[in-house]
Amino acid sequence: MASAIGRRRTRVAWGFLGPSVLGMLVFFVFPLVMTVYYSFTSFDLSNPPRWNSFANWKFLFGGDPLIGQATFNTLWFVAILVPVRIAGAMLVAWALTRARTASGALRTLYYLPALIPPVASTIAFVFLLNPATGPVNKLLGAVGIEGPGWFTSPAWAKPSLVLLGLWVLGDIMIIFLAALLDVPVEQYEAAELDGANGAQRFRHITIPNMAPVLMFSLITGIIAALQYFTEPAVASSTAMGKAAVGEGASGMLGWPDQSTLTYGQLLYQKAFGANLFGYASAMAVVLFVAAGVVTAVLLRRFSSFTPEVAA
Amino acid sequence: MSASTLTRPQASGAAPRRRTRVVEGTPWRRRSPLVFVADHALLIALAVMFVAPFVFVLLTAVMSPEQAGTSFSWPTSWHWDNFAQVFEKLPMLKYFGNSFLYAGLATLFMLVSSVPAGYALARIRFRGSRLYFFAIIAMMLLPPQVTSVPLYVMWSRLGLTGSLWPLILPNLLGDAFSIFLLRQFFLTIPAEYSEAARIDGCGELRTLWRVILPMARPGIAATSIFLFFASWNDYYGPLLYTSENESAWPVSYALAQFRGSRSVDWNLTMAATLIAMVPVVLVFLLAQRAFVRGVTLTGVKG
Amino acid sequence: MRTRTRIVIPALVAAVAVGTAACGGSSGGGGPTAAASAPPTVSGTIEFWHFFTDREATVIQGVVDDFEKANPGVKVVVKSGQDDQKMRQAISAGQPIDVALSYSTDQVGPLCSSGDFTDLTPFIERDKVDLTQIPKTVLGYTAYAGKRCSMPALADVYGLYYNKDLLSAAGYTQPPKTLSELSDMAVKLTKYNADGSIKQLGFMPLLGYYENAEAHWGPSADAQWLKEDGTSAIGSSPGWQTLLTWQKDLIERLGGYAKLAKFQAALGEEFSAQNDFQTGRVAMNLDGEYRTAFIADQAPKLSYGTAPFPSAQGFESTYGGGYITGNIVGIGKGSKNPEAAWAFIKYLTTDTDAQVKLANGLKNVPTTHDAITSPQLQLPEQFKTFLDIFENEHSSTTPPSSIGAEYQTIFGTHTAKWQQGKVADLPGMLKQVDSEIDAAVKLQAGS
Repeated sequence: MASAIGRRRTRVAWGFLGPSVLGMLVFFVFPLVMTVYYSFTSFDLSNPPRWNSFANWKFLFGGDPLIGQATFNTLWFVAILVPVRIAGAMLVAWALTRARTASGALRTLYYLPALIPPVASTIAFVFLLNPATGPVNKLLGAVGIEGPGWFTSPAWAKPSLVLLGLWVLGDIMIIFLAALLDVPVEQYEAAELDGANGAQRFRHITIPNMAPVLMFSLITGIIAALQYFTEPAVASSTAMGKAAVGEGASGMLGWPDQSTLTYGQLLYQKAFGANLFGYASAMAVVLFVAAGVVTAVLLRRFSSFTPEVAA
Repeated sequence: MSASTLTRPQASGAAPRRRTRVVEGTPWRRRSPLVFVADHALLIALAVMFVAPFVFVLLTAVMSPEQAGTSFSWPTSWHWDNFAQVFEKLPMLKYFGNSFLYAGLATLFMLVSSVPAGYALARIRFRGSRLYFFAIIAMMLLPPQVTSVPLYVMWSRLGLTGSLWPLILPNLLGDAFSIFLLRQFFLTIPAEYSEAARIDGCGELRTLWRVILPMARPGIAATSIFLFFASWNDYYGPLLYTSENESAWPVSYALAQFRGSRSVDWNLTMAATLIAMVPVVLVFLLAQRAFVRGVTLTGVKG
Repeated sequence: MRTRTRIVIPALVAAVAVGTAACGGSSGGGGPTAAASAPPTVSGTIEFWHFFTDREATVIQGVVDDFEKANPGVKVVVKSGQDDQKMRQAISAGQPIDVALSYSTDQVGPLCSSGDFTDLTPFIERDKVDLTQIPKTVLGYTAYAGKRCSMPALADVYGLYYNKDLLSAAGYTQPPKTLSELSDMAVKLTKYNADGSIKQLGFMPLLGYYENAEAHWGPSADAQWLKEDGTSAIGSSPGWQTLLTWQKDLIERLGGYAKLAKFQAALGEEFSAQNDFQTGRVAMNLDGEYRTAFIADQAPKLSYGTAPFPSAQGFESTYGGGYITGNIVGIGKGSKNPEAAWAFIKYLTTDTDAQVKLANGLKNVPTTHDAITSPQLQLPEQFKTFLDIFENEHSSTTPPSSIGAEYQTIFGTHTAKWQQGKVADLPGMLKQVDSEIDAAVKLQAGS
C-alpha cells in the first residue's frame, strides 16, 4: 500500500476519532492525573488543595475505621453476587432452550425485570422483603417459617441484595441464551452416540462453547461489583425508613450496621458527605488499580480475539 | 443489579457463529413426555417468580395508606386513583421531562460523536487503531467513582453542577461503550461494501454516510436504546450533579427520595415505582427486535 | 456531521481549559463583604435555600412574602427541601447561594472554618444588631472558633411526648422522671400479638428510630462529646456508659433486639400522618417541639402531654434539661448580593414579627428575647414544656467541630452494634470511638 494513502487514511481516521480523543483526554486521562494529585492533598473544594504528602494514604491504610468493612463487603459481592448471578442466568437460559411453546414470550417475561430502573426494582424489593409488612414473610409465615429481617438485618442485607440481583439477571441470561442456541447441534448428537450423559455433555460441550461469553460476563460482572452503588444505597435508605430531612444521604449509607456499605459508597461519602476530597481521591486510586487489574485480564482476552481491522 | 447499573458492558455477549440453530426451542432430540412436563413445570415456576414482584407491587399500589403500612394482605378497597394522586402530590411530569431531556440529548449527542469513531475503528486501517481500541475498552470499564472528584470539581468551576448538563455534554465527545458497540456492529458489515464505495471515489465520510449508515441502522438503533436506557436508569450521576436542585431531578433519582426524605407512604411509593417502569418497558416492547439483536450481536467477537 | 463537531469542540476545549486552570487555585479568600455603610434600600434577586418541605415550607414562604412586601426591590428565589450535605456541596462548588438555612448546628464548624459561610461580624457591627436579645447558648452554637458566620433562626428543643389515654389505661397519671421509671412504664405499656410480635410499644429503646439519637439522649446523663482541643470526650464521660447500659437493659426487657427491629421495620413515616406516636403504636416518644404542630395538623384528636426527657440514674439533678439545637442561617460565599442577603437574614433572625410568625407556624422556639415574651405567640399548652427546657441550665447541644457531625456518625456505627448485643466490652468500645474520632479530626486538619 502506498504510504501516501496510508497517511491520508490515518489522518481521516483520526479526524473521525477527534471528538472521542478529546473526550478521552478530558474524561479519562485528565481526571486520573488529578485524582492522583489530589490524593496527596488536603482538599475541601472550598479552598485550594493543600499538599499533605502521605496523610491520606496513612489514614487509608491505618486509620479509617470503615474501610475494612467496606472492602470486605465489596469483595463479598464479587465473590458471591457475581457467580450466583452467572449460575442463575445459566439455569434460566438453559430452561428457555427447553421451551416447546411461547419461548419468545417467556424470554421477554424473564428479561423485563432487568430493564426497569434499578432504583425502582430496589424499592420494590425492600417492600416485598419488609419483615413486618411485606408479602414474602407473610407467605413464609403461612407455611410455618419465621422469615428473617432481610434488608433490616445486618446478616441478611447482603443476601437480600443477591436475591434482587437474581431477579434482574435477564441482562446476562439473554446473552447466555444466544450463546446456548449457538452451540452446534451436531456436537451434542455425536457425544450422545458416544454414550455421554447429560452432565458430561454439559461439561465437555456446553461449557467450552460458552467459554468466551462466560469469561466476558465474569469480568464485566467483577468490574460492576467493584463499583456497586445504586442498589445498596437505595436499599439502605429505603429500608431504614427514616425521614432524612436535613441529614443528607451519607449518614445512612450501609444501613444496617454498614452491612451493605460498599467501597464506592464510602468513597462517595468521604468526598461529598465529609468534604474530604483528598482522602476520597486516595480511595479512588486504589479502586482504579483494582479495576485496572481486572480490565487487563479482559484486554488480554481481547487481543487474542480481535481480528485484524479490514483494509 | 440490573443492566444499567451493572455498567452497560454486561449487555454484551457472543456474536453468532455459523451453524446456528435457527428455530428457537427446537429440541435437539426427541424428549419423553415426562421430561417435557418437568421442563415446563420449571419454566412456569420461573415465570411466577419473575412476575410475582410486579403483582405484589401493583396490589400495594392500589391500597389505602393505612393498609399498606400493615401486614400484607389482599387489598380491602381498591384505590386506583393512587396513580393520579402520585401526579398530584409529586411533580412527576417534571421528573419525566428531565429524564427525557437527559436520556434523549445524551443519545443524540452520542450518535453525533460516536458513529464516526466506531466506524473508523472498524473499517479504516490506520496506525494506532488497535491501541486506541484497547484504550476505549479501558475507559468503558472504568468505575465512575474513580474520576468523580476531579470531574465534579471541573463541572463546579464551570458552574454546571446542579444541572443535568455534566451528564449530557460528555456524550458530545464520544461514549466509550457506544463506540465499542458500534465498532462491533460495523465489523459485521462486509468490508467489500466500503471497498466498493472507495473504488467509486467516495471519501470516507461519504462512504460512511451513504453506504454504511443505511446498512447499520439496526446497530445504531440498538446502541441508542442502550444509552437511552442507561441514562434513564442512572442514579449515581443525578445523585452527584442534581441532588441539590429538585427541578433537575430525573425520575430514577426522584423515586429514591420518596421514602427516605419525602415522607411518601408505601402505597404511593409503589404506584410511583410502577409509573417509573412504564416508559422503559414500552420502549423495550416496541423495539424488542433491535434490542435483542443488539445484545446478542455485541461482545467477544470470535 | 463534521462541521457540527468542529463548532462544538473548540467551545468545549475552551470550557475545559477554564475548568482545569481554575483547579489549582481559585475561590477561597475574598467572598462577599459588607459595604461601609448600610444601603438605604436593598434590591435584586437572592437565592434562599432551606430544608423545610410541605406544610413547613409554606410557613417559611409566608415570611418570605412579608419580606418581599417590605422590600419591593428584592425577589427571593426559594429552594426548599435542601439537606445540609447538598447545601454544603453546592456552596463549596461555588453556586451563588445567597442565604442558606440549615437545620442543624453540626455544620457550623465546617461552614465557618472553610469560609463557605461569610463572617457576619462586619454586618452586625455596622448595623448595631443587639446580640443580647439572643440567649448565650444559642449565640455559642452559631459561631465557631470566634467567627460568627451564622445567625440563629428559631431553635429546636427535645423532650418526651406521652399518650395520655394509653398511660391512664395502664394506670399512670404522670410521665416518667427517671430512665428507670421510663423503663418500667415502657414494659407495662407494651402489648404483644398472638405470634409474639409487638402490637403496641411503650417506648422504643433503639437508636436510629425517629429522633432517638445519641445526641438527643446525651443531656439526661450530662454526657459529653468533645474536649476543649476538639478531640473526643466520649470514652472519658461516664454518662455514655450509664445511658447505653440502661438502653440495653430495656431492650432485653421488651423482648430483645430482633423483636424491636421487626416493629421498627413497620414504622410509619416520621413526618406523615402515619407517625407511630400519632397513630398510637407507640405510647411514649422522644421528639422535638415541632411535633406539636404535626399533631395539630395530622392527629388533632390525640390526647397527649409533654415533659422533659427523663434523667439517668445519678443525674436526677439535671432533670428539666434537654437537647437544644437550632436552625442556623448564613450568607454563602458565592453570594452576588450580600447586602440583600444580609437584610433578609436580619429580618428572619431579629425581627420580632417574623420570629413570632415563624414560631407560630412551625411551632419552633423563637430565638430572641422579645419574640419569646411576645403576647402574639400562640402556642399550645404542650409547648410550654419546651420553652422551659430551652431556658433550663442543664440543657445542652452538640458542640461544633471541624469534622461537622462526623463524630456523631462514628459513635453511631458503634452504638448500632452495641444495641444488637454484639459488643461485650463497653469501655473498650468507647475507647475505640475516641481513637477513631481523633484520627478523623487529625485527617481533617490535614496532618
